Order: sequence, then structure tokens, then C-alpha cells
Amino acid sequence: MTVLLAATAAALFAIGTYLVLQRKLSRIIIGIGLMTHGANVLLITSGRRGDAPIIGESNSLSDPLPQALALTAIVITFAVTTLLLALAYRSWLLTHDDEVEDDVGDRAVARGLPLAEDEENTLTTSSTSRDSAP
Amino acid sequence: MLVILAAFAVAGLLLVVLGRRLGPAAFLVAAIVPAISVVWTCAQLGAVSNGEVLSEHTSWVGGLGLSLDFRLDAMAATMTLIVSGIGVLTLVYASRYFTADTPDLGRLAGLLVLFAGAMVGVVQADHLLVLYTCWEITSVTSYLLIGNRYTDANARAAALQALLITGAGGLAMLGGFVLLGHSAGTYRLSELAAKVPTSGPTITIALVLVLLGAFTKSAQYPFHAWLPAAMAAPTPVSAYLHSAAMVKAGVYLVARLSPIFAGAAVWRPSVLAVGIVTMVVGGLRALRQQDLKLLLAFGTVSQLGFMMVLFGAGTPAMTTAGWILLVAHAMFKAALFMVVGILDRATGTRDLRYLPALDRRWRWVEVATVISVASMAGLPLALGFIAKEATYEALIDRPFAGSAFVAAVVVSGSMLTVAYAIRFWWGAFVAPRRRVKTHLTAVATPAPGLLFVGPALCLAAASIVLGVALALADRLGTAAVRSLDPSAAPVHLALWHGLSAPLALSAITVAGGLILAITDRSIQRVLLVGSTLPKGEAVYLSLLRAVGATSRRVTGIVQNGSLPIYSGVILATAAILPTATMLQKWHWPGWPSIGALDDAPIAAALVVSALGAASIRRRFSAALFLGATGYAMAGLFVVYGAPDLALTQVTVETLSTVVFVLVLRRLPDRFERQSSLQRRAVRLGIAGIVGVSVFVFAIVAAASRTATPVSEEMISRSVPDGHGRNVVNVILVDFRGLDTLGEITVLAAASIGAVALARVGHRAAAERGERDAPRPAVDHTASSSHTVVPRIVFVDVSVQVIFHVVLMASLWLLFAGHNQPGGGFVGGLLAGSAFALRYIAGGMAEVRRHARFRPWTVLGAGLLLAAAMAAFPIVRGGAVLDVASKSVTLPAFGTIAMSTAIVFDIGVYLTVVGVVLMAFEAFGDEREEVRA
Amino acid sequence: MSWLVPVPIVLPLVGAALSILAGRSRVAQRVISLVILTTVVAASVALIIVVDRDGTIVSNAGGWAAPLGISLVADRFAAVMLLVASAMLLVVLIYAIGEPGAERNHVGFQSVYLVLAAGVNASFLTGDLFNLFVAFEMMLTASYVLLTLGGGREQVRAGMTYVVISLLASTLFVTTLALLYSATGTVNMADLAVRIADLPPGVRSAFAVLLLVVFGIKAALFPLFFWLPDSYPTAPSPITAVFAGLLTKVGIYAIIRTQTLFFPVDSRPATLLLIIAGATMIFGVLGAIAQNDVKRILSFTIVSQIGYMVMGLGFFTVAGVAAAVFSMIHHIVVKTTLFLSGGLIERAGGSSRLTRVGAMMRDAPVLAVLFLLPALSLAGIPPFSGFISKFALVDAGFASREYAIVAVGLVVSLLTLLSMIRIWAGVFWNPAEEPQDPVASAPAATGRLGGPVFMVVPTAFLVACSIAIAVAAGPIYAFSERTAADLLDPRAYIQAVNAR
Repeated sequence: MTVLLAATAAALFAIGTYLVLQRKLSRIIIGIGLMTHGANVLLITSGRRGDAPIIGESNSLSDPLPQALALTAIVITFAVTTLLLALAYRSWLLTHDDEVEDDVGDRAVARGLPLAEDEENTLTTSSTSRDSAP
Repeated sequence: MLVILAAFAVAGLLLVVLGRRLGPAAFLVAAIVPAISVVWTCAQLGAVSNGEVLSEHTSWVGGLGLSLDFRLDAMAATMTLIVSGIGVLTLVYASRYFTADTPDLGRLAGLLVLFAGAMVGVVQADHLLVLYTCWEITSVTSYLLIGNRYTDANARAAALQALLITGAGGLAMLGGFVLLGHSAGTYRLSELAAKVPTSGPTITIALVLVLLGAFTKSAQYPFHAWLPAAMAAPTPVSAYLHSAAMVKAGVYLVARLSPIFAGAAVWRPSVLAVGIVTMVVGGLRALRQQDLKLLLAFGTVSQLGFMMVLFGAGTPAMTTAGWILLVAHAMFKAALFMVVGILDRATGTRDLRYLPALDRRWRWVEVATVISVASMAGLPLALGFIAKEATYEALIDRPFAGSAFVAAVVVSGSMLTVAYAIRFWWGAFVAPRRRVKTHLTAVATPAPGLLFVGPALCLAAASIVLGVALALADRLGTAAVRSLDPSAAPVHLALWHGLSAPLALSAITVAGGLILAITDRSIQRVLLVGSTLPKGEAVYLSLLRAVGATSRRVTGIVQNGSLPIYSGVILATAAILPTATMLQKWHWPGWPSIGALDDAPIAAALVVSALGAASIRRRFSAALFLGATGYAMAGLFVVYGAPDLALTQVTVETLSTVVFVLVLRRLPDRFERQSSLQRRAVRLGIAGIVGVSVFVFAIVAAASRTATPVSEEMISRSVPDGHGRNVVNVILVDFRGLDTLGEITVLAAASIGAVALARVGHRAAAERGERDAPRPAVDHTASSSHTVVPRIVFVDVSVQVIFHVVLMASLWLLFAGHNQPGGGFVGGLLAGSAFALRYIAGGMAEVRRHARFRPWTVLGAGLLLAAAMAAFPIVRGGAVLDVASKSVTLPAFGTIAMSTAIVFDIGVYLTVVGVVLMAFEAFGDEREEVRA
Repeated sequence: MSWLVPVPIVLPLVGAALSILAGRSRVAQRVISLVILTTVVAASVALIIVVDRDGTIVSNAGGWAAPLGISLVADRFAAVMLLVASAMLLVVLIYAIGEPGAERNHVGFQSVYLVLAAGVNASFLTGDLFNLFVAFEMMLTASYVLLTLGGGREQVRAGMTYVVISLLASTLFVTTLALLYSATGTVNMADLAVRIADLPPGVRSAFAVLLLVVFGIKAALFPLFFWLPDSYPTAPSPITAVFAGLLTKVGIYAIIRTQTLFFPVDSRPATLLLIIAGATMIFGVLGAIAQNDVKRILSFTIVSQIGYMVMGLGFFTVAGVAAAVFSMIHHIVVKTTLFLSGGLIERAGGSSRLTRVGAMMRDAPVLAVLFLLPALSLAGIPPFSGFISKFALVDAGFASREYAIVAVGLVVSLLTLLSMIRIWAGVFWNPAEEPQDPVASAPAATGRLGGPVFMVVPTAFLVACSIAIAVAAGPIYAFSERTAADLLDPRAYIQAVNAR
């Protein structure tokens, strides 16, 4: 690990974060893509640097394990990103935008909708009717 | 005992489930089990009265010290008799109270039996937590019983109130019990006395918590509000749960614990104070009721307060008095409730202002009433009288500090009792006749049948019999007191204490009561003022509202449904928490080397293209910038010595860019204006934090490496045991083949999902129709421009050639991969890009033509091959993915170690090809979308 | 017996492949899934028996001894989770088959469902941190697909939230793995346990918290849970039931596993865990009370219940962890049951909004029972399993003198009762207030059972299970105690892995 690469990874993460915190799904996807790159930088640099890990061609081989791990990670992210793109496409079909809307139910709660049955009210009526005046 | 309890449970459940068509008869069936319990208990009476104790022990959760301990001593026997006996009578009564057309009588009867069982459990439990268990069951059954007429909003509200208040108390009590258990080292009630320390902060807290439970359950002030509300329940339920049985549970608990904890500083004062207040408040409010049932309800509250006082004091004499009052109250109050029920059924009202006059055929009802009222008021010959005498007797000789005051309050409280007792009798029977005399409207109301009046009469009779023939009660009573407090000297009950102070007090009480009753009007005026004072229910209501409001407010803020905020919180947490933790034990390992020079351009490329992707306003270009970043990554991999990784990165990046573009060409190209400045500031802030913490972590983590990585051994064993020179590939298909298996599974699943999403065109059309969103007419034309590609022969031919070349190359990568950079995955992707070429040339049709099999088939086949290769060794008894190998010579590939790993890799290859084809299936097909 | 260990992972994968090939033959797919999952249940029964008798079993994938290859480790904790999870998966599958239209886009459903099963089982069994990542991804990708099958508007919106958040979590996970590897040079858990001990204390604790956050997102801890109540309710009820029962528990499993295995006592974030636990309980239950829809209320109570498990872990005593394990077992079953009966309610009432359905006591008394029992159990009312777990937690809390958190737990359980009762009252007692909205499906015709047989019977079976847990609480709790002992003293685990 060198300062340069650490800084690069950090930069990728920062930029990615900035994009992820937006509403357009395509931006979010790009942001996540950048963060993944950052993660891969960390992954690849977590092992020794050297020549391609192919036996017999050199004797200062780079660390193969992080490469294998990174490869798997890359592929998986690719797969999920594809799925996310499919969602974006679908969302476009439905709403003509890839904006991530807020959750309806949550908004309703935030606006303060009443409880299902207003236990309170019925109770007040019943309790006032209890002390019938003489 | 456990057997009988089980019988209760079974009978109850059976009735709930099957009792539907029995109708009112269900109650008679239900009465069987309680009857058995009565008989059984009576059989034990002889032994029990001599102070013997039957006990049972069954272990439940040993690890937690939970065991089903029950015991029957005199006190438990008394309570069991009350609970079961009155249970029987109530059920018989109920069989007449309810008409056949009432729905779900089976459920009602079943719940009553379940409740009875739980209640018997409460009084027989010898284990605090078993007691708690049964206690809670009674709360729940009571909830269901009160709310049984669920069409009535008041009933529902009352049920909820009862459940919440008793439930809250119950939880407090649970806490108290656990504290007691921990400090005593046992949960057995019978061992508690010996082991528990009776002082210290823990005990104090524990006792307060336990008392909270008792007070809520026994409707003590200020928790009493739920009991009058609970009168919304059918009268049999009220008669049973809310006068005779359930509400006694708290009193019973106090009675059990008083002898042990009366010494504790907190016990006697709190119990006596609460009891006294409850007694008076209940009495006063009883005087104001016009509804006979509510009058009785508040009467119950008052009497429960009285009992609290008697048992809470913890002196033998008082306890004795308490025991009699317990029995007496159970009898007269249940009887009176039954009478109210009868009146209600027959006349259709419970309001003592409108009750019609009743003719001679009703004399038996009146007899029962008069006797019970007498007992309630504590007139001579009735059991209530003896209770009162015993009380005064006990209080006369100042057993504890402040007992004089207690005595004073008890006397006045009893006056109130006398007053509302008279009010009841007068209002129910005398006043109506007078009204008739005045306006001559005699209503000939049909008299109730035998089974309807019978139970009330029995109870009334019992009040008298026990009152006169004390001997019957005496032995059991004495034994009961001793079972509570072994140290107690036997206090014998007497009908006639001679012309003594107690008698005088009784006289005063009755007289005072009479005066109160006569001066009713003026009293009412006084009480009207009192009714304006804050009440328990007000507190409960405001609490309930507060909970509702708070929950909505908090949730409205926290759960705001906006994804960016969620992500922001998560990322911030993930960055701040760990870094902060690290800073607590901070030591900086020192700076590592700045970095190799040839990394600089790559790093620069990465950052610049990333910035480009972030800042550009057009979706399309942003995607391309992302692609650029990807290629820069590939460059980094190359210089770092990871050709496989670079290869994969390039292919993946290409493909994902293609897919991205395929999707983006349908989305509006430009992002709309940026959001507000301060939002951007927040984003930048979080981004900064994340970046910094990543940087710090990267440096620190790398610096703290001491051990040698496991990969060294992989390198050394790759050729001899892995039969491959390309260590990365060997790791992928052999050392860590399981990862790869999972990885391609993910690919497969994702592609299925993508296709599923993209192919629900029809439903989409429908929904768009409903939500009348603008139709995507514009971009049909836009997309169709992609489909209609001018066919140029040269292009076609070259595509043909390149297509096959690329396919061959991909195969070569697959087979050579074990020793050279490459492998099934990259090969698959390359093949995929061959089809991508096809697609660009001629659209989906073209791809379909050259991919001979359905994407699904390719996908499935690949996955199956890989999974089977993984599973096969298991069948052979080896480990999963166990690789067998021999070296073979293939034309064009030279000699390679042919291991089953290669078959696995072929599976990977196929899966990836399938995935790519699926991707085109999902995003590539124009006609599909036009149909959408 | 070590050959048994990979079966629950590989078999479903084979099944998934077959089911993809089986293509459009719904019957074939159903048969495949049923056979496979039944076999898996059988296998996990065998595993738990053997493991409890002879101790931890290790199977090295590819025959490569740790730390070279990926070792699959079946210890008590893994075994019991495996058993409960696979049982749930099977029962819910039957329910889904019984529910008309649940397997929308059936080519996808069955195969992806098997992938989900494989992922869940792998997450329990794997002894390799990176492989855990892969297992998570299998599970999650499958869950994305299942959540968005059908692609309705709400589903897509919820899907976006869910996928994005999970992707973030996965990225964080990869990052953590990279950092861990660069610090220790291994990803094998047992190996990590040994090597982390050599790291400087600050780094150690930092990693502990980092892992807590990474898994905390999946386990839906405060303040990382907000995505859950937004996404779960939109899926078809069997799917939601599986998610509710299993996915969050996998997260908790990972937390408990890593915190106890990797980190020596001094670097465990005990206090932080207790704080998080309290916050999770409170905010979860408040959310539940504020909601107005059966599925949403249930989703929020998932969160608050997670808090209880974290609390148990936070004590880091045998009693505490045992309580946590027990409540996991209890909660998986009960919560799945609740969502299944919630689905039945939605079906019979035509909606899951409390204001739209009502007075179902009259028409569907069976449903009333099927809901009430698990609901009471969830609220910790005795004598149901929820009470045992609640009491175990309270007991453990008092034993380690953490009175504050115990008090919170007790209050929250009362609020949980309130939320459950609101469902009960709203669905079975109160009259419906609003008219049915035309878009939603009208109430389906319900027989005497209150729903199709193959939906009601599995639900009833689960209710029976949850009662059985209470009856057999003795042995189950004893097992949990043994599990807790293993977890808090991981030497046996490490030995078993490094043995071959």
C-alpha cells in the first residue's frame, strides 16, 4: 500500500459517495460503480505487488489471492448492477423517469395520519358516560 | 393439580373450537371441569385444614430455573374453592343469561373456562414465574372476554384499557419477580420467606415493582379506571372476573407476600396508603352511580382497597379479617351482580331511576338481594358482619404505627359501603314500588326461572350459613392464616364478641351509613364537586395519546422514506463509528512510501474520469466516463501484475457499458438542475468523511500486517496439486471453486431477474394506462433508429468472420486459462461480446439466429454442469468440488493437465454466455419494448 | 459425516439449474423444489444431531485444508440456524405453491427461490469470510429478484431502495475484506481469529465496529434499518415471510459469529452493542405503533425484535448469548408465521390496511386464532415461546447488572403488545372504515378455513411449531446454552478447522 494508491481509493470512494447521495438512479449506479472501483483498488493493493502470478515466468510473483477475490467481486457487482439497470429501465417504463421516489407509507406517517381506530376517542366517550350526573 | 389445570385448558380450547353449535348449553358443559376442581379441593379440605400442604413439581426450562411448581395449602384451597365454586355458579347462571340466538357462545364459555383454569393456576402456583404466567393468561382472557361484543366500540376500548393497564403492571411485576429471584436464589414462593433478604435497595425496588403489578390487577387507585370500564362485558363475565375472581389476584399476591415483607420499609406504608385511598374513592364514586352495575363496580374497587389494607398490614389478626372479607365479598358481590343481570335481562334497564316495580313472583330475587346487601353492609348474622367485627377487633389494639388513623378511615369507608348498599337495595326494589304507587304503572315482568335465580340464592344462603355456623369456616380460616404466616397464633372467629368496642364501631358504621343514605340528595351535590377532580382514566388516556403522537412524530422524522437520506446515514455511520473507535486507542504506524512513479498517470486517469462521471450533466457521457474509470482500473491491474483481473475488468467494463447504453438510450439524456446548495454541502461533507476514513484505514491496516499471507502456500502448491501454472485461475476453479460457483449463481439469478423485469411489458402498459403517464411515443422512434441498421455486405461479412474468430479465441481462453491468463469466465465474456458484435450489426434477430439455443437453456446447462461437478465428489464420499485430474494432449492446445476443474470451468463459460444472451434478451429486444 | 456439510449448499444449486432447464413446466419445477428442500431439511436434522453429539464438523471444499481452501464448518450455532431456516424455506414454499399467483413469472420463481435457499444455508455454514460475502450475494441477488418479480410500481420503487442499500452494504463488505486481508493476509475465519489477536488494540476494535456496521445493515440495526420497512411489505406475502424470518437473522448470525469468534474480550464493542440494541428496540416499536398497515407494522416489529437479540449478545455472557440464540430460533418461526397469516388476512380482507379490513372475527375465526397465538408470542406473553426468550433476556440482563437496557426491553415488549393488539382489533374486531380501493384485489372467496388449504395448513403447522418451542423450551434452551458456551470460547471451533 502506498500513499498514492490509498489516496486514489479514498478519492474514488468520496466521489462515489457524492453520487450515491442523489436521487437519479443512474447517478447512484455510477456512484456505486466508482465505490466498487475504490474497493478493488484496496483489494488489489492489499497483496504484494509483482509479476503476473504464473508459475515459471518469474520469481517475484504478485499476490494471487486478492486478485482472485477482486475478480469474483467485480463479476458479482457487475451482475447486481445489471439488475439495478433493469430496475431503472422498468421504473422508466412506469414513471418515465429513473428518480427514486420517497416511500408513500412513510410520507403518510410523517403527515401524521390517524391511528386505525381512534381508541382514544371511543374511550373518552365511554369514560364520560360512566359518571352519569344525578 | 397439574392434571386439573390441564383439564381446564383442554376443555376451554375444545369449547372455543367446537362449542359453536352447543348454544347456551355450552356453559353447562363448561361447568363440569370447575365442578371437578371444587370436588377435588373439598376432598383435600380435611388434610389442608390441619395445615398439611400438597405440592407438585414438574420441570420446564431447567436452564432458567423455570419449573411448574404448584401447592395447595389452606389459603390456596380457599381461593380455589372461591374461583371454581363461583365459576360453576356463574356458568350455570350464564346458561340462562344468554339467549340461544347470541353468536359464538361456545367461544365465550371456552374463554371463561380457560380463565378459570388460569386463575386456579395463579392461586396454586408455588413459583413466582408460574404465577406470572397464569396472571398474564388471565389478563389476555379478560381482554378477549371484555371485548367479546366487538361490535361495541366501548367494549373494545375498555378491553384495550384493561389489557394495557394490567399488562403494564404485569411487566413491572415480572421485573420485580426476577429481582426477587436473583436476590433470594429461588423463585419458589414457599422457600422465599426463608431465603430472601427483607431490606436493601434491590428488595425495595423489587417490592415496588411487584406491588405495581398487584395494584393494577386489583384495580387500586389510581389504576382502578379499567375496572368500571370493564363493565361493558356481559354480566356473567363481570360477576366472575371483575368481582369474584381475577381482581382478587392482586390481593392474593399481597396476602402471600405481606407476612414476609411487612417488615420492609416500603411495604406497609404504600399498601395501606393505596388501599385506604382506594377504599374511600371507590365508595364515594359508588354513591354517585345510577347504573346498578357501575355502582357495584365501584363498590368492588372500594372493597378491594379494604382487603389491601387488611392483608397489607401483615398482622395475623388483620389477615384473619382479610380472609373472611375475601370469602364474604366473593359471595355477596357475585350474587348482587347476578341479580343486576337478571333485572337487566327482564326489564331491559339497569338504571335505578327507570327500573319498573316487580311483583311477588320476584320475591326470591329480592331475598337474595337483601341478604347479600346485608352482608355487604356488614349487618349482623351475615358473613360480612363478622368480617367487619374482626377488622375492628384487630385494629382496636393498635397493632402497628398509625393504625388508629387506619381504623378511622376504615370506619368511614364502611359507612360509605353501608350507604351504597342501601342505595342499591332501595333503588332496585323499594323506590320502583313507590313510583308505581304514585303514577300507577305496574309492569308485569315475567319472573326469572330457577336456574337463573338459583346461583344468586345459593350464594346468599352461603353468606348466611357461614355467618351463623362459623365453625365451618373457622378451621379453614385459621389454617389459611397460618399457611400465610406460620408464626401467627390462631385467631378464632366469633359471631358475638360481646358488648365490646368493635360492636360499638359496627353500630356507628351502620348509623353513619343510614344517615348518608337518607341525606342522599345533599350528598350528591357535595360529590358533584368531587367528580371534577382528575381521574385515573384521564391519565391513561393522555398516556395512550402521547404514545400514539410520539410514535408518529419520531417515525415521521426517522423513517422519512427518502433513499438518499438512508444512504447518507448509513455511509456516515460506516465511516465515523469505526474511525472514532480507532482514534480511542490511536497509534499512527508512520507513513508508507509515497508510491511508484508509473502509478501516477493511472491514478490521475482514475480520479479525473471519476470526477468527469460525477460532474457531467449528460447521462450518456457519464456512463462513458464510468467506463473510462473501469479501463483505468484495468491499467492499474496490469502494472500491479494481475493480467487475469485486467482482462476481466476490460470485458466486464465493455459489457456493462453496452448494457448501460442500452438502457440509457431510453432515458432522458440530461440530468435536470442540481439540487439546493446546502444539500450539496451535506453530500460533500459525508463524501469527505468517507474519503478520509478510507484513507486512514487503508494506511493503518496495511501497516499492521505481520503474518505472511496464506497465498504463499497457494503459489507453492499450485502446480503440483492444482495442475495449473496460472495461480489465479487455479484459485478460482480449485482452491476457492466454491466462490466461483456462487459467483455464477449470482450471475444467473441476476440475469433471470433482469429478464423478468424487462419482460413484464403488458402489465406495464396496463399500469401506464391507469396512471396515464405520457406514452413513450418519442422514444419508440428513437429506439427504432437502432433497429433499422442499413445492411452493408462488407460489414456483414467482416462481422461473420470476426464473430467466429472471437468465438474461437474465447474457447482458447477457456482451455488455456489454467496455465495462461484467461479461464472460463473471461472466455465466456469474450463469447458474449462476439454476440454483442452481432447485436450491433443486426439487432436481436441476428443474435437469435446465431445463438442456436435459448438463453435459458444455455444458462441452465452451464449452471448444472458447474453445480454437478461440485456435487459429484460428495456422492463419491469426497469433499465438495474435489478435483480429479490427469494430463492429456489436445490438438492446438498442446499437453495440458486435464483436471475435472476444466469441466467446472466449462460450466462457468456456458453460464456466462447464457447470462450475456439473457442480458440482450432483457435490454436488447426492440419489438418487446414496442409491445410494452 | 463431513460429507453432509456441503449438501445444503450444493443441492439447491443443482436444483436451481434443473429448474431453469425445466423451463415452463410448472409441475416439474415444483417437484424439484419440494424434493430438494425436503432433502435439505432431512440433511440438517442429521447434521444437528451429529454435531450436538460429536461436536463441530468441518468439510474442506476441494479437499484443501484451511486456510488454503474454503472450509465449511457446522458447529451447533450453524446447525441449529440451518435447521430452522431450511424448515421455514420448505413450509413457505408449500404456502407459496398453495397461494394462487404467488409464483408470478414461474420460470424465475422456483429457481431463484432455490438460489435463495443455497445462499442462506451457505451463509450459515461457511467458515471463510470472503465466501460469506459470496453467500450473502447469492442470497441478496435472489431476494432482489423475488422482491421485484412482477415489477409493479411500488415493487420497483421499493426494489430500488433495497438493492441500492444492499449494494452499498456489499461494497462496504468488500472494502472491509480488503482491509482485513491487508492487515492479516487471510480470509479464513478461524485463521483470522488467530491473526486478529496480534493486531494493535485500536485496529482490532475498529475492525470489530466496522464488521458490526457492515452486518448491521443486513440485520437492520439502528440507524441502519430504515430500508427494511419500506421494502419488505411490497413483496408477495410468502416472499416477505421468508425475508422477515431469515434475511435479517443471517445478518445477526454474522454479527454474533464474527464478534465472538474474531475479537478477544477487550476489543468487543459491548457498550455500543447495548446502546444500539436499545435504540433499535425503541425506534422499531415506535414505528410499528405509528403504522396503519398489517405488513408494515409487522416489518417494524422485526426491527425491534432484532434489538432484543443484539441486547443478548451485548452482555457477552453465556446466559446472554444463549438468550439471543433462543430468541433467534423463536423469532424466525414466529415472525414467519405472522407474515404468513398476514398474507391470509390480506387475501381474505382484500387489503392489509387496518382501515380497509375489519370485523373478520365473524367470517374468519380460524385466521383469528392463527394470528392471535403468534402475535401474543411475539409480544412475550406467557406461556408462549416469546415469553421464554424475553425472560431469558431479562434474567441475563439482571445477572450482568444491565438494569437500564432490561427496563427498555420490558417497556418495548408492552408497546409490542400494543402494536399487535392494534392489528388484532383493527382486523378482527373493528368495523372497516374506508371502502375497498378499486385497484386492490377484492376480498377473495374464503372457505371455512379462511383461505386455500395449502396456505392455511402450513401457517397452522408453524403456529403449532411455535407452541412446540414453548413446550420443549427446556431442551432447546439447554442447547442454546451449549451453543453460547461454544461461541464464547471459540478454541474448539478454531481447532476443528485447523485440524485437517
